[in-house]
Amino acid sequence: MDPTIKDFEAAIAELEAIVKKLEEGDLALETSLQLYERGVTLSRFCHARLEEAERRIEIVNERGELKPAPATLGTDKDDSA
Amino acid sequence: MSSLFDLPFEEPEQEQGKAEALPHVSLVPTAHVPPAPVTAPRRSLGEGGRRLLTVSQLTGEIRVLLEEQFVETWVEGEISNCRLWNTGHLYFTLKDATAQIKAVMFRSALRYLKFKPQDGLRVVARGRVSVYDPKGEYQIVCEHLEPEGLGALQLAFEQLKARLVQEGLFDERRKRALPALPRKIGVVTSLDGAAIRDIINVLRRRYPNAHIVIRPTRVQGEGAAIDIARAMTAIGKVPGVDVVIVGRGGGSIEDLWAFNEEVVARAIAGCPVPTISAVGHESDVTIADFVADLRAATPSAAAEMVVSRKDDFYTRIDRLEHRAETAMAARAHRLEARLRSLEARPGFGGFRAHVALRGRHASELTHELRRAVRERLAVRERRAQSLRRTLDTFDLRRRLGAIGARLVGADGRLGAALGRQRHTAEARFHGAAARLESLSPMAVLGRGYAVCWNADRTAIIRDAAAVRSGERVKVTLERGELDCEVYGPDH
Repeated sequence: MDPTIKDFEAAIAELEAIVKKLEEGDLALETSLQLYERGVTLSRFCHARLEEAERRIEIVNERGELKPAPATLGTDKDDSA
Repeated sequence: MSSLFDLPFEEPEQEQGKAEALPHVSLVPTAHVPPAPVTAPRRSLGEGGRRLLTVSQLTGEIRVLLEEQFVETWVEGEISNCRLWNTGHLYFTLKDATAQIKAVMFRSALRYLKFKPQDGLRVVARGRVSVYDPKGEYQIVCEHLEPEGLGALQLAFEQLKARLVQEGLFDERRKRALPALPRKIGVVTSLDGAAIRDIINVLRRRYPNAHIVIRPTRVQGEGAAIDIARAMTAIGKVPGVDVVIVGRGGGSIEDLWAFNEEVVARAIAGCPVPTISAVGHESDVTIADFVADLRAATPSAAAEMVVSRKDDFYTRIDRLEHRAETAMAARAHRLEARLRSLEARPGFGGFRAHVALRGRHASELTHELRRAVRERLAVRERRAQSLRRTLDTFDLRRRLGAIGARLVGADGRLGAALGRQRHTAEARFHGAAARLESLSPMAVLGRGYAVCWNADRTAIIRDAAAVRSGERVKVTLERGELDCEVYGPDH
């Protein structure tokens, strides 16, 4: 992902700051266009992150290893129910 | 038998009353010495059949008497002079209105005590009496203490709570916010309970792509507290886990007790990522609830706290996009207005005359117009870019199901409105710019064109055939001039 975006929270915060600046409206045209463009990038990042997490259930065992959870814990059944 | 009982309990009175200056041994009348349990060898007999004992012998006999007599003894009293030693043993005094007895509770027994004995606490102690020879003291060695009034568990709860409050472990300032969007959701609970299923069901319903990491633990019974604490430590180390739900389903106060243990409280407080406690039902409040960053009434509620955030964020991002676009649309409006005022400026048509007649004023105007042209170009380029990106964004949103559909509707309307406004402004710019370009050579340079002169700068070169390889030319840019040598074409 974009190396200039730290994480989801930072992206949201920056997007909010940008929107505030844009709304203040006394920016040079060039600046406001750059900001808008950055805002679109941030917004895309957020949308992507919202969909990014993997649908998965894992178990940490005594040795700290990650194993897939037993199927009985999975909720595929519950989803359709 | 009563005389046997009397001995230890009367002794302190005798000491206080009259025995201060007298040798201890002489206080014990022979008649009181019981004949039976004598272990120490008799070293000597005094005159007149009196038995003469050493201090050690006497103390030994007393010890045997007391320790055999008070094996399992229950005594009630108030704790005072309570001291926990470095060895882990607890020393205190049990007293009532008229008497007191020294007491000790060894670390091995203390371990099982839920509450912390403290001064002023009324307790029932179960233990045996023992004598400490080197000091000639007897004491009760407590196996168990039970507070009077409050139950032991309730008391333990209140005590730990008070202590942790004092340490600041429950301070609001310590509470961390949940991550905006968890990458992996950690869960510390039993795999057998209802809690884990509730949590998974809720997460899956509200956040289908949730990544859940479970660290199974016992949640009740002996050793459960240690187990939970270890599980908290382990889950905190799993990379990507950025919020942890810890808890269990409902049960009796004894079932939930592990979540009132100090070791669990400290493990929750020490968790490197924000924690949500979810123990039992709404009415069950545990120490874990006070320590955790957030308390959920039930495991299901904890899961909801994590994933309701996702809905929030779709709404929030949508609003931000909306506001950004509105702001940009307003910006386009203002640009349009500025352009109109530019066009309406008197003398716009006769600009060439201004240039000729009033050099200085004209150069100012030229600068301004040149800037307008640059802006127009920038707008056109950025618009193309942002349209491409908006299209990308629409692609993404199609995946967002119900929420997405709502977003697209809103964005589509906005986008169309914004597009129309931009288009109008664009067309006006275009017309104005075309006219400007014909007026000012400088404006043309501003667009990136360059003027090529002969070396003397006496003539503009319009035909490549007019120069030869090796000939020098000058090139005027918007800012500054270049000295160049021609390399080709060769003809």
